[in-house]
Order: sequence, then C-alpha cells, then structure tokens
Amino acid sequence: MEEFTPKLVGARVKRREDQRLLTGQGAYVDDHHPPGLLHAAFLRSPYAHARMTQLDTSAARTREGVVAVLTGKDLVSLVKPVRAVSKMREYKETSFPPLAVDKVRYVGEALAVVIAENRYLAEDAIEWIRVEYDPLPTVANERDAAQPDAPVLHDEAGSNVLLSREFARGDVDAALAGAAVRVRDRFRFRRHATVCMENRGCLADYRAGTGELTLRSATQCPGLLRDVLADLLDMPEHYIRVVAADVGGGFGAKSSLYPEEIVLCAVARLLKRPVKWISDRQEDLKTSTQAWDEIVDAELGLQADGTIIGLRADVTTDIGAYSIYPWTATVEPIQTISFLSGPYRMPHYRGRNRGVATCKAPMGPYRGVGRPITTFVLESLMDRAARRLALDPAELRLKNYIRADEFPYKTPSGLVWDQASLTECMQKARDVLDSDATAQWRVQARAAGRWVGVGFATYIELTGVGSAIPVSPGMPIATGTEAAFLRVDPAGTVIATFSVAPQGQGHETALAQVVADALGVSFGSVRVICGDTALAPQGTGTYASRSAVLAGGAAIRAGQALKEKALKIAGHMMESNPADLDIRDGQVFLRDKPERRLPFRDVAKTAYAGLRRLPKDMEPGLEVTRFYDPFFGTASSATHAAVVEVDTETYAVTIKRYIVVEDCGRIINPLIVDGQVRGGVAQGIGAALYEEVVYDDEGQLLTGSLMDYLVPTASELLPIEVHHIETPSPTTLGGFRGMGEGGTIGAPAAIANAVSDALAHLGIEINEIPMTPEKLFRLVRAAGADGR
Amino acid sequence: MSEPNEHSQARPVTLRVNGTEHRGQVEPRKLLVDFLREDLGLTGSHVGCEHGICGACTILINGEAARSCLMLAVQADGAELMTVEGLAPQSGGPPALPGKTGQLHPLQTAFWEHHGLQCGFCTPGMLMTAYDLLQTNAAPSEAEIRAGLSAVLCRCTGYQGIVEAVQAAAETLRAGEEDQ
Amino acid sequence: MKPPPFAYHAPTQLDEALALLERYGDDAKVLAGGQSLMPLLNFRLSYPSALIDINRVAELSYLRQENDQVRIGALTRQRTIEFSELVRRQLPLLSEATTLVGHLPIRTRGTIGGSLAHADPAAEYPAVALVLDAELVLQRPGGQRSVSAEEFFVSYLTTVLAPNEIVTEIRFSPAPPTSGCAFEEVARRHGDFALVGVAGVIDAEGEQCRTARLAAAGVGPTPIRLRTAEDILVQEGVTEQSIQRAAAKAAELVEPDSDIHASADFRRHLTEVLTRRAIQRALERGRERRA
Repeated sequence: MEEFTPKLVGARVKRREDQRLLTGQGAYVDDHHPPGLLHAAFLRSPYAHARMTQLDTSAARTREGVVAVLTGKDLVSLVKPVRAVSKMREYKETSFPPLAVDKVRYVGEALAVVIAENRYLAEDAIEWIRVEYDPLPTVANERDAAQPDAPVLHDEAGSNVLLSREFARGDVDAALAGAAVRVRDRFRFRRHATVCMENRGCLADYRAGTGELTLRSATQCPGLLRDVLADLLDMPEHYIRVVAADVGGGFGAKSSLYPEEIVLCAVARLLKRPVKWISDRQEDLKTSTQAWDEIVDAELGLQADGTIIGLRADVTTDIGAYSIYPWTATVEPIQTISFLSGPYRMPHYRGRNRGVATCKAPMGPYRGVGRPITTFVLESLMDRAARRLALDPAELRLKNYIRADEFPYKTPSGLVWDQASLTECMQKARDVLDSDATAQWRVQARAAGRWVGVGFATYIELTGVGSAIPVSPGMPIATGTEAAFLRVDPAGTVIATFSVAPQGQGHETALAQVVADALGVSFGSVRVICGDTALAPQGTGTYASRSAVLAGGAAIRAGQALKEKALKIAGHMMESNPADLDIRDGQVFLRDKPERRLPFRDVAKTAYAGLRRLPKDMEPGLEVTRFYDPFFGTASSATHAAVVEVDTETYAVTIKRYIVVEDCGRIINPLIVDGQVRGGVAQGIGAALYEEVVYDDEGQLLTGSLMDYLVPTASELLPIEVHHIETPSPTTLGGFRGMGEGGTIGAPAAIANAVSDALAHLGIEINEIPMTPEKLFRLVRAAGADGR
Repeated sequence: MSEPNEHSQARPVTLRVNGTEHRGQVEPRKLLVDFLREDLGLTGSHVGCEHGICGACTILINGEAARSCLMLAVQADGAELMTVEGLAPQSGGPPALPGKTGQLHPLQTAFWEHHGLQCGFCTPGMLMTAYDLLQTNAAPSEAEIRAGLSAVLCRCTGYQGIVEAVQAAAETLRAGEEDQ
Repeated sequence: MKPPPFAYHAPTQLDEALALLERYGDDAKVLAGGQSLMPLLNFRLSYPSALIDINRVAELSYLRQENDQVRIGALTRQRTIEFSELVRRQLPLLSEATTLVGHLPIRTRGTIGGSLAHADPAAEYPAVALVLDAELVLQRPGGQRSVSAEEFFVSYLTTVLAPNEIVTEIRFSPAPPTSGCAFEEVARRHGDFALVGVAGVIDAEGEQCRTARLAAAGVGPTPIRLRTAEDILVQEGVTEQSIQRAAAKAAELVEPDSDIHASADFRRHLTEVLTRRAIQRALERGRERRA
C-alpha cells in the first residue's frame, strides 16, 4: 500500500455544509412536504406499568380529518415484532412491539396512532381514543427491579435481570487483600437524556406503482434501518430506501430503530400515501433512548508506593423498559465493565454487571457509552488514593499509565490498545494549566475562605472499531466495515458516496479532504454524499466514533485504487510509464519532468471515451468501491483538567478553566476536531452539573420539558482550551483515530475531582453525578460546615 | 377534550416576510412557525420545543426577536417579519455552489469562519437572536454575548464558535457603520 | 404539542375585550404576551373555549409619569420596560428585575400585565410589584377598581381578578431618591425561573434605616412580603448583625415547597443568603445614589 501523504488533511478547511445551513436551506425531515402528505400522532401511555383492558378507537376514527387509526393489534398483521437479538451469554432476549399490545411498560409508550390531514387534527383525534387500564405495580428503580419478588416486566424473560456478565483477570480478591491501601465507594451516575435540538422524526412514502418505500428519518444509521425494515416489513432490501439528509444532532440517541419508524412504514404502505411524524419535545423526552443510569460499587487497591494492583467493581445498570434494536440492553452495561480498568496497568481485575429492566424509557447509547461512568469511577478512586497516600494526583497517574513500550496492551476485558499518548497528554495538561501557579492560586483563594479545586481525568477509549471486537458483540449485524464509492464524472469531478451519515460532524468536508488527498485532486472537485441508501455502498451509519477511521480508511483505499487506474490511462495518453506519474492539484505530471502535465479532467474524459483511447484490455470508466475493516480498532486518549469554584453559600459550581489535551491521531480538520471536543465537553459539563432525568416512584417522568431537563446555555459554559498530541495511529489507514465522544467521557470525572478537591477540607468526596447545588448543599450540611 | 367551535374556521392573514407580502387563510390556532414553514414554505425557522425554551424558531417580528412557536399566525396579521431566509442580502443570481460563499450577512460569514454551527438545527434561531442582540448592543462583552445567546440552546458546539462568531460579526458591523 | 381549537377574538378596544370576557366568563383566556399561555396551550394543559387576544388594544400600551407615579399600561412589553429611560431612572428595581425575566426574545412579547395576572410565584414581576407597593387597576364592564399588589396575589397562579376583569394598568410610586434597591436571585441556568429571588428597597443613611421593603419569590404560593424582616432593619438600624438577623428572619417567613430543582430546606437557606445579599447591595446602591 502506498504511503498516504496528507496535504488537505490537517488543514482548517471551512465546512461546505454551512452555506445551506446558514441560509435556512437545510433539508431536515420536517422540511419535506410531499403532495398528499398525511400526519401522524401517537397515543402514549400515561401509566408506567398497566394492562390495557380496552382500547376503543371508533370515536377517533370519525373525527374531522382522520384517515386512519391503528393499534398494536392492527399492526400484528402488517409487521413482524422487533427482537433485540444477541448471542451474548447471560442475555435474555425480549420483544419491543411498535405499538403496545395488551401491556404498557413505561410512560410514553405508544399504543395507537392517528393518521390525519394535519398534526393539529391528529392530536385532536388522539383525545377521542378510549383506553381502560388495569394498573400494575411500578418497577421504579434498579434496586426494586432486581428483588426476587419484583413484578416482572417481561414475562418471557422470567425476571427483570436481562443481563449479567463478568470480566476478570488474575485474582483480584487476593490482590486487594494484600493491598497497602484500598479505596472504595458507591458511585452513582443519574439518568441522562441526549436532547438533540432536532427531535426525532420520519416520513414514509410508498409508491404502489414501483413497490418502493422511501423512509426519510432523523437517523444516524440509514443502512442499518434499511436492513432491519426489509426484514420487519418482509420486503426486499432494494425496495427500501432510507434517507437521512440533514439531521439535527444524534449523539447516539438516533442510532437505534424506533417504534415510530416501523409504524410509519407500515402505515404508508397500507394507505399508499406519504405519512410524516415529527416528535414534539415532550415525546422526545419521554421516548428517545436515555442513558448512563448506573450504580457502581468499586474498590481499588494499591501498593504503598502508589502502584495499582487491582480493581473490582459491581455495576447495576437501569436499562429501562425495553431492549432496543440493534444495540440491545447490553450496550451500556458491557461497555462499563469493558472499560473500567482505564488507562492504567491493571494486573488484577473483576467487573460484574447486571442490566435490569424498569418502567422507564429504554436505555440506549449516548456519547461515550459506559466510559463517562467508568472514567468518573476510576478517576475518583485515583484521587481518593492520592489523598490517602499523600501523593500528587497527577504523579500517581503518571506512575500507573500503560507505558509506551507496553503497547499494544491487552486490557483485562480483552480490548487491545494499539498505542496512546497517556504520559504526554498529562504532562502537557500540567504545562498548560501551569501547575505551580495554579497551586499557588489555590492556596491563596482557600486562605480567603473560597472553595476552589483542581481536578484531572485521563481516559482511553476504543474507536474506529473493526470486526475483531465489534461494537455489536453477539448481534446479527456487521459494524466492522464501511465503504467508499468513488465515481469520477467525465468533467473530472469526484462524487464520493458513503453509508456513514453525519448529524453535524462535517463528513461532507472532512471526507472530501481525505479523498482529495488520496487522489491528488483539489478539494473543490470532490463532492461527498452521505446518508442515502439508494446511492451508498453497503454499510450501517455514523456512531461509535467510527466515521473518520472506517469511512476515512475506505476513502483512502478507494482514492488510491482510482488513482492507480487514472495513472494507467494518463500513462497511455502521455506515452509514459504510469509508475513515473503522479497527480497533484488536479494535474497528472511526470515526476522527473513536472512541466509534462495533463489535467486530471482530460484523463476522466478519456476514461469514458471507449476502448480506442484506452490502454489495451482496460475496462472503460473511472469508479471504484472499496471496503475497509480496521479489525481491532484504535485507541484515543486524553487528559482533561478542570479548575472550579463552589459558591460557599449558593453551592453553584463555576468552572474557571477547562483544559483538554488529547491524541486523536492524525487530524483531518482541526476546525471540526476542536468543535467536536468542545461540544463533547459541553455535554459532559451538562451531565456533571445540570442534567438529570427524574422519574418519581410511580414511574412518572418529572423532567418532561426543557424547563426541567436542563441543557446548559452559553452562560453556563466557558471557552474550552483544546490542545493536541498528534500521533498517527499505527494500526489504521491514514493514522486516524475516532474522537467524537471523548469530550463527554472526560468532563464529568475531571469536574467531580475538582469539586472534591474544593470540598476536601470538609471531608466531602463526590460520588454522584450530577452535582447540583441541592446535592452539594445537603453534603455540606451533613458535614456540618454550612455555618450552623 | 377539544371540540371545533364557532370561530375555528380560517381567517385571512396578510403579512410581509423578508420584504415580500403574503396573504393566506389560517385557522386561528395555527402557530406562526407552522404557518411560515407549511403555508409559506419558509422551512429555515425550526420547531424544537414549542414551549419557548430552545429558541430554534426565533424570528424578527417588527424588527425584534421573538419565538414564532409562542405566537399564533393570526397575531402576525399586518406584521413585518424577518426569518433566516431574509438575513443574507438577496443576490438574485443562481444559488451558490456548495462551499462557495454567496452573499452572506456578516453574522453568517462569521459563523462559517468560526465554526459556529455543527448540525445547523439551532443556527437560524441563533442567527436571528444574535442579530437582535447586536442591534440592541453593538459592542457586547463576552459575558453579554453569552447572556444574549442563552435564549437559544445549542447541543453541538459548546457555544464557543458561536460566541467567537458574534464577537467577530460585531466588529465587522461596527466597522461597516464607521465607513458610512 | 399543538393547541386545541378555540374561538379567537382580537378586539381593538378595551370595551370590546371586556364585553367578550363578560360573554365567555371563565371559559375564556386573555392572551397578552402569550409567553406562559402559549406553552400551556401547546402542551394542551389548557382548553379555553375562547381566546381574547388583547394585543391589538393599543390603549393598554403606554408608560408615563403622572403626578408622583409611574403608570404602565398592562400590555406594555417587558422589552419596552427594559429599554425605558423613565423606568431606569424612576424604578431601577423594575429595570433590573426585567433583565432577569427569561430572555430578550421572551421579553419582546411578554407584558407586565400578563406576568402579574399569571401570578407565577417564582416570577420576578410579582415580587417587584409587591415590594414597590404597586397598585393594579382592574377593569370590568362598566367599572374599575384598584387593588394593591399585596391584595392581588391569592395563591399559586391565582389572583383576585374576577372572570370579567382585566388588569389595565400598574401604578408604581418611585422609592425615595435616597434609597437603593436590588434584585438577587439564584436560578439553575441563565434565564430560568429563580429557585429563589429576593427584592429589596432600602432607604438608609449610616446605620439609620428610614424604610426597608423586602419580598421573596419562589418560596411560597405567592410572592411573600418579608415584613418582620423589614422591621428588624428599621428598628435596629442597619448593622452587620441586624442584616444577618433580618436574613435569618426572612428564611422563617417563607413557605417553600420541594421540587426536582431544590428542596424546601435549600430554598429556605437561599432565602437567607439572598436576603442578606439584597440588603447589602441595596445599601451599597443607596450610598452610590446619594454620593
């Protein structure tokens, strides 16, 4: 394989997506109004757990503008039920009906749909559906759910414990028994919501004449949806087209198959008319997948000199009412025990997890998946250990990081880190922070009675995951490969089509940079198309920090293959040996005699001109598709540093400085990378200080509006200082590492450690996220330090 | 329970949007943002929460920023509106190629240069809010910009590129004023 | 989240609006700025049979000085109040509190009359009206009455407004020029409803306190006037100790509830902190004004 020479890659290229988005010309699902469009509204359960004894839609059917009303029973003959399948041991598979049949299991679960001439009329008619419920006992939380006498949500599973797994290495119990220092705590990450600014939504359009079904959806995974919908609707895959044009944020919540997508397809096919459903914010907060709801009992053992000898942890994950397709209820729990050992040498380890079903919206992937919690837990324990051992927290970390000569490093759970810049990131973070000056400031501020603190967090994460240790262990889908389809038209423009599907990550720009470099053409002559299964090669979508690695790698492969053929044609045209030629800035030239050149577009034109103009035996045309599987995937890592102040009276936490030093390998576009880091940190800050999904004991959602679920505004955030250690991955094409999630992974831990540092003199150590003023007030009051 | 009643039938509405007069018939309960998007085809203003928190639907009503999800279309009868589609000076030429700058308002240019958007969903509301902020305060401090922009939620950027863009646009606009 | 159907009326005269209100009574809602009512309609938490949109009743929109009072028409937008020189000069507390009401795009539409009539106890305007001893003019067909802010608020989202009455004017008597004022609040995010807010107007010189007025928002079914805390300042004079005692008293006077954002205990604690801060800042402002 020829060495990849970056030229545009690494440049701060302004995004080409922006022109349309800045002028109101984007194409989000809701912007489409095909002729004859109908609108859907869903009736949703007001009960957390109930049997439906009667469901009467007759009155609703007669309301103004109503075209159809369907219930779960009506759908049984139209679509197959969804099964979140996994061959993972100790996982119990369950069904998730698109509309509830007989029983509802969380507030907001859809049980009927009204199709009407407009959304207003559809919502009117919803109120005329008569339902009688026989309420069942609520399974309100993970503790109750796991009790032997708990009411069971899914009879077919026989228990609410849908998953229990253990990963281990060495003999952790013996190791901890012999540890000089042991630190332990019960850590709690409260439930969070993704809150994409664009609510979910979809528009299904069935053409009876051709039998084609087009689903426009605000999804991260058009390819994945196409494949599963073909199965559920019993249609050939090539008759289904899934399009995700502009999508307003995803962050994991738009990577799963949702009931509404299935219902809309079934209804459009039934009515032979286009039907649209756009989630309103209330529906979104009730039904989009939620995240990170876990309790972790963890204990870390160290030698007297600070060397880590072992970690054991018991994790309980509240997976909500249903196991989602395709990720299943295992996605968060398995990640948690996979990643708990962190960036450290960990000779002895045991992580156990139970995933339990409760009456809440289903849990799904959200930026970081598992790692925001594992980083919070492990990095909190590291700081506790540093306090016990009277060691500098940064020094303790530096002592225990996996060393440069130990890569590739196999973790206790079997993951492989190809390489990471752990020590370099921490050292740079300390330099940027100016540790000495900060320490001095901290002393002075404390002397003045202020509560200030500094916190670090280091993480390592697996990105660009290939087929060896897939994102989807045991699941019947392939997530280890992506493809690039490059077609050069006779005018010399490269149309590069991918099945990855962005929601703001700038693929149209970044992948064009990669293709342009691989081929040697200008940025302007590459057009990137994503998110349309009718155009894209086989693939799934954008999730799990994979697009730069997988699609980028496929783009390099395809670009190089295309270049090879173009040079053969050019050699024929220039009467030169193709091996002596190269392409740069859209010109083919003789390496030794650069003045002998030929525009690339002439080569493209010739490629389609027929055999007479081409080398002997060459097939006409200039297009290729290439697939890429990075197999093990690659590691990304970072150290975050936070400086905080806690108001001694109002308990508001103010972040004074926030520093990220990270290594995401070769950077394709620094503008986009920094934007991803900052946006990720913003979500981590939201998670750490503001955001929490709250259900009451009856399973009622108390955070059903944006007045109650607190996404931070510009006033709550600060400029994030981002620095890079750029070490190309030794294992991926192009040296790219995935980086979309890292900001969110590091932030809660760094902030928690900084707050713990600020309150350490009161004996307070943070063990729960989010750290709201209310919770800090209670901690301080319990410590007897509120001046009373 | 909702029952259609005496006055739920459509009423005439005449309003100017981005300098163009529009006439329509609209049911009184129809939200202004739905009227703009569905009846006038101006889909740049986005629906994000319908309770006035996210700000994605923010437009200018008689020159002042307001939520178009918290107004009825009938209330805009006789009003002069500006949406994101009207922010750039109208060039009249063919649409610009992707990645090529057509005529943009200094705010739009600054958002582009400072990576003030990712998914773009909040962007129209953010731009219109920033426009109003700068017309009421031509030289805002960073804290004032953040306070002003707190009217619109963005989930992608962490606001940093947006704040930098508004700072840059404020400078451009002030320089433009001085030139005149 | 689309509003249910309703009859819609957009009168241009106050008389017309009152006649409609008389006709519909309790079944109608008056639509002013709509920044609270429209969300309720969109959530379908309110099903009025008619909306009486008073936005075209031009006679309700004014801001003027009359004798010793500043009189503000009920339909006057919060934005107008925010940028009013008259308000800044005569009612600096109202000016300051206005910038805490939601965000500018909300204040573009939101009105003073609407905010008071909605009577959300966590909102800023009810507390300001209470602390400034504002008078509200309530108009019904064929008559009007004037009530003090203290009488006006009855309970959570409930006032003395009869079904056939509309708030038409709010009358403020500016605090003495020697006084200082402050509005202190803690909200989870910029622009959110306050967990607790405290408004204070204090006329003091040295340790002598001529008058002290304090009110708290977000800590009871209505905004709460903190009279016994005020008395401490007037009787004891303003010293570090009396300020602390007044603040502690304030925390006793409030009746907060717990919700997902803050417990009653925490709200009580914040009442004490914010009362102290409000007094201190009001005193500071007074000193600045007199200097």
